[in-house]
This record gives sequence, C-alpha cells and structure tokens, in this order.
Amino acid sequence: MNTPPRLKMKFDMPSDPRYLPVVRGAIEPLAAAIGWDESECRAITLAIDEALANVIRHAYGNRVDGLIELECQESADGLEVRLLDKGDAPEMSKICARDLECDQPGGLGTHIIKKVMDRVSYEVSPDGNRFVACKLLRKTP
Amino acid sequence: MKISVRDVGNAKVVKVEGDVDLGTSPALRRTLFESLPHAARVALNLEAIRYIDSSGIATLIEVLKDSQRLNKEFVLFGLSPAVEQVFRLTHVIRIFQVFQTEQEALGTA
Repeated sequence: MNTPPRLKMKFDMPSDPRYLPVVRGAIEPLAAAIGWDESECRAITLAIDEALANVIRHAYGNRVDGLIELECQESADGLEVRLLDKGDAPEMSKICARDLECDQPGGLGTHIIKKVMDRVSYEVSPDGNRFVACKLLRKTP
Repeated sequence: MKISVRDVGNAKVVKVEGDVDLGTSPALRRTLFESLPHAARVALNLEAIRYIDSSGIATLIEVLKDSQRLNKEFVLFGLSPAVEQVFRLTHVIRIFQVFQTEQEALGTA
C-alpha cells in the first residue's frame, strides 16, 4: 500500500517580527488538523514562534533583512519543524534553558521550546544554522 | 496590539489587547515603564490578550523588578487561557501578584 501524502508547509520569512503572526496563524490550524487539542496547539505554536524569535534576535541580531526558511511537515508520528538561517552561528554553550528558580527574564524561550517539543537539535552546517524539532502525537487508546 | 491606560484613584490600569510578541512587546514595555513613576500601583489587565510569548513575559518580569526598586506595586489581573498557559510553562506566576478582577487588583473589592 502506498504511503498517503502528508501536508508540508514552507515559509521563506524575512527576519522581521511583523511576520510572526502570519506564521502563527498557519501553524495552529496545522497542529489542530494533525490531532492536538486547543491547548497543545497553542503550546506548539508558541514553541515554533520562540524558535523564530531566537533566530531574529540572536542569529540576525534584530536585523530585519535576513532570511529564515521554515518547514513544518506532518510526519508518521506527529510534526517535524525545520528552520534554516544564514545568520551568526549560535554558541552551543549559550543555548540553554533558564534556571526556573531564578527570576531573571532571559532564557525563557529556549525553556519553552524544550518543554513543549519532544526532540530539539541545533546544527551549524555549510547551508547555515539548522534547528530541527519534533512533536509526537500520543494517541490515546 | 492595542494598549490603553486609565487612572483609577492613585493607580493606573493598563489594558492590553491582541498579541504580545517580539514585535509588539517593546511598546508594552514602554507604556508600563512610563506608567510606574506616576502611580502607587499599576494593574495590568490581561483578559484580552490572545497570545503572549517569552518576550512579553520577560517584559513583565522587568517591570516587576523596576516596581520593587521604585517601591511601587505592579499587579496582574484577568489572565486569559493563553496567558495562563505561558505562565504555567515558564513557572514565573509565583513571582507576581495575580487577581481575578480589577476591583481585587486595586484592593477595592
């Protein structure tokens, strides 16, 4: 039997925060169509938005003329998200979630991404900085 | 995002509507930092927020710290489900005074 086709969305997004609502507006219904409930859809949308915001702030230093390639694809077991940017390479040692007992405002975004998504990886490649995250759809019996 | 500010006695009530994200949180930050020196208490109404990200939460933490430095009160009320979820994910709710209604937030209930 052939594998059924799966939905894939691709955005080439300028590193300008005013486009973030456009992407959020597409991700939430995609997550709902795959099968997550309203609260999980909001959390997934937030995690992807945080990953985009990290690229804008850290890779492109808040410049609005960078390119971010975003792919969201339904997978056999959930959702796979890929980001590629050509900005400054991240310092891997600085990609860390904040200590939740501390009241400083930094590091919240990375904490959210790691808490919401099941697998997260960062890689510096010849094509640019690559971020990959997966969220598994846990089917209730 | 839309922000409005009104005076209630010696307090200011700030209402935010729409999305608070990387693009809009600087405007909220500006409004809250401008309001703090001119009121004994600033109460932020969050009931009409559809979306808030970590830059919005970071803004609230910064304002809270500045309110403590200035010996003012910065309180939150009317958390929408979207806001409550992000507070829960980031575990920062414990550092804020959170109320259900404006009257409670202003201590007039």
